[in-house]
Amino acid sequence: MFWLWTAMAMGAVAFSVLLVLAILAISGYPALGILHRWIIGAAGNRFNLAASMADACPLLLTGLAAGVAFRSGVLNIGAQGQFLLGALVSVALTTRVIFPGPFWCVIVGAMAAACIAGGMWALLASVLERYRGVPVVLSTILLNFVALYLVRAALHGPLQAADTSAPQSPQLKIIYWLPILITNTDFHLGIPLAFAVAVAMAVVLGRTNFGFELLITGLNPRVARLVGMPVVRRQFAIMFLSGCCAGLGGAVQVLGVTHFMLGNFGNYGYTGIAVALLGRLNPIGIAIAAVFFGMLDTGSRFVEESSLALPHQMANVVKGVIILAMLVASAWMMRRGSRVRSPEAGVNQNPADPQQVQS
Amino acid sequence: MLSIENVSKAFGGVQALNNVSLAVAPGSVQGILGENGAGKTTLMNILFGLIRPDRGQIRLNGQAVVVRSPRVAQRLGIGMVHQHFKLSPALSVTDNLALAVGRNFVLLHRAAFRDRIAALARSLHWAVDPDSVVGQLNVGQQQRVEIIKALLGGGKILILDEPTAVLTPQEVDELIPAVRSLARTGITVIFISHKLSEVNRMCDRIAVLRRGELVFAGPMGELSAEDIAQRMLGAPSALSSLGASSASPGLVRLHLSRVCCTLPGTRKYKPLLNNIELSVRAGEIVGIAGVEGNGQTTLIDVIMGSLPISSGVITLDGSDLSHLANFRRARQFACIPEDRQGQGLVLSLSLTANLMLRSYRNPEFTRLGLRHVTAWRAQATKLVRSFDIRCAGVEVPIQFLSGGNQQKALIARELYGNPPVILAINPTRGLDIGATAFVLQQLTAARQRGAAVLLIHSDLDELLAISDRVMVMYAGQLLPTKWPVVDRAAIGRMMMGITPQAA
Repeated sequence: MFWLWTAMAMGAVAFSVLLVLAILAISGYPALGILHRWIIGAAGNRFNLAASMADACPLLLTGLAAGVAFRSGVLNIGAQGQFLLGALVSVALTTRVIFPGPFWCVIVGAMAAACIAGGMWALLASVLERYRGVPVVLSTILLNFVALYLVRAALHGPLQAADTSAPQSPQLKIIYWLPILITNTDFHLGIPLAFAVAVAMAVVLGRTNFGFELLITGLNPRVARLVGMPVVRRQFAIMFLSGCCAGLGGAVQVLGVTHFMLGNFGNYGYTGIAVALLGRLNPIGIAIAAVFFGMLDTGSRFVEESSLALPHQMANVVKGVIILAMLVASAWMMRRGSRVRSPEAGVNQNPADPQQVQS
Repeated sequence: MLSIENVSKAFGGVQALNNVSLAVAPGSVQGILGENGAGKTTLMNILFGLIRPDRGQIRLNGQAVVVRSPRVAQRLGIGMVHQHFKLSPALSVTDNLALAVGRNFVLLHRAAFRDRIAALARSLHWAVDPDSVVGQLNVGQQQRVEIIKALLGGGKILILDEPTAVLTPQEVDELIPAVRSLARTGITVIFISHKLSEVNRMCDRIAVLRRGELVFAGPMGELSAEDIAQRMLGAPSALSSLGASSASPGLVRLHLSRVCCTLPGTRKYKPLLNNIELSVRAGEIVGIAGVEGNGQTTLIDVIMGSLPISSGVITLDGSDLSHLANFRRARQFACIPEDRQGQGLVLSLSLTANLMLRSYRNPEFTRLGLRHVTAWRAQATKLVRSFDIRCAGVEVPIQFLSGGNQQKALIARELYGNPPVILAINPTRGLDIGATAFVLQQLTAARQRGAAVLLIHSDLDELLAISDRVMVMYAGQLLPTKWPVVDRAAIGRMMMGITPQAA
């Protein structure tokens, strides 16, 4: 099954790239030239590869946020808001409220606080569901907007840089930047950290009793209750963990890449959902998908900077086509699977299937 | 004339049907008998176009047909009534049927359609009012509506998939003449069941499947009930060897004292549980009989802690359970729930994961805080072997197992490690004779080991066969019976709510 899905993901990617190239060729662009530049731009040298990795880093963390939740049947669409909140807290703690201590203490503290902020923001949705019956899908989407305007308010207010009227924070002092690990590239400490988080997630979710309980609680809470799992605690834990990943992503993006914060801080949270689906909700798969998306972005910027006059949005078109192809392929596999399934079998109750997550 | 010729079908590694041939004459009632997983449902799904056979063909009046989909089946005049009805409870019978007719919905002459339904019902002597709302009909009547739905398109062959599983004994008694009257109008009925007595009363001919092979086909009455059972099982039934316990019961394990339960916010309604006094001692099986819906599920829920009690005390080994967090409380009991697919198993996960759902916390199954994969697999393999769970491997998702084997897996999980207190609701529902005997044996064996067993069961015969004490649940109350029961009719009366002096 694993290999089948891997093959399917690869097939979807290949199909999408070919489709986009065909469209380019028909529109009169030199398709092969663009592909060549794209590959060079994504991974042609260590500088470009590092840039791809830096692009992949926040996507990996928001992808993990979505993946952790979806895998357990919790539809946390709020990685965007949790990501923004993490970024906001880390900016606040490195520009305004700086705790006394050596620089690395401040960095670690800011990242930890961003984690917790993201986690709590996500937990809010769980609490609303548990005590007020608000579906998590709804509350997380809506909380994204709350977070967005909270960020804008802060960037217009207490966090606004002194020398500008735009909604943006001052730049972090260089000592609070995440250290660059490979000189003259974008390869900052947050990148190995994000991969370490992915590996840790893979181990915790896949191999520990805690992860097993998260899975069961998500797939069938009634069974979890029957066999004596602390269902409510685990449901909260899923959400907190998910929000933590997204919050950390925000902090890493601020501390490692942008070094200040704008009112428009990207769509990493939403793209993370696509990354999670492409990675089949498996932490390692998510890491691969995130790197691929990072390469798409970096490569497309490189193509754009060259003389080929290709709109930057092309990378997004490729992403969109890939996700569509994945969904079609998985729907097809699902139908095939249900035809093969034995008659006594019930409906597929795995809410982690991307097909159902989307609907 | 419907004939099935040399049909085979495999799912994964499991041969669900192997070279099955069967001819069904028009206007006859053909019973298809077999254990769970014998291939009955697969065969019917092939006939109805839900599954395509690997080999073999179907002939209708001598002509080979390819039933590609249920729609094709309907066009060929094959209708099927599933165990779970596909009716909209808020609509009237006429509207439901109009929906089913589908394409002509817009141009449907409503009054004429309604009259057609009424005429069809009248010709079968069925009391189905086309104007009544489906949600207000009882299950037996809804089933009639389903049957009419299957016949409306001019169906000549009707498949009934275990139609009696959802019916009360009374409704079964009504279904039998209804089906006979269908057959008199020339409709071929294929009746799937694993209950011998019903097949006996309903069918002209029977076919017996065992592990995907046709082991008998012939007129009803050619074989004795004993012979049929033997062919279904391949080995003599073990039900008779079960008896009441000889060991004397020990200390009181589970005790409920003056327990009442009212749904929160519904104080004005009658309580779900009313003043329950119940104790279950080590080494005994306490049986609770009763018509479903009289508070049996609520009783399990309050013991497990998933529903709060409004008054009374529940103690386990003398200590009050209300001090325990719900999840710790659930760990005190082995529980065989009523709804095994919804509450007992995680269908999309492997057999191994499902078998480990209770014992995964046990230190022997973790190593350095991580899952001990080989120990998990070894444990699953051990349970598969000792509980005779038939599967294509322990890593197969449990949804690919047949119902009986799913139940065996559930019981293997819950009874592993000699749990001191066992709660079970209808543990043999939907199981064939062999699996039923197996489940009952497991419960008596647990009793022999000193477990306290609370068995809530709607099958009175099985309940009386293995219980040491029997109580009747009616309208949220527990009524004691004199034991040993000689007068089953008295229990029957108590189940219906007639005062229990006679018991």
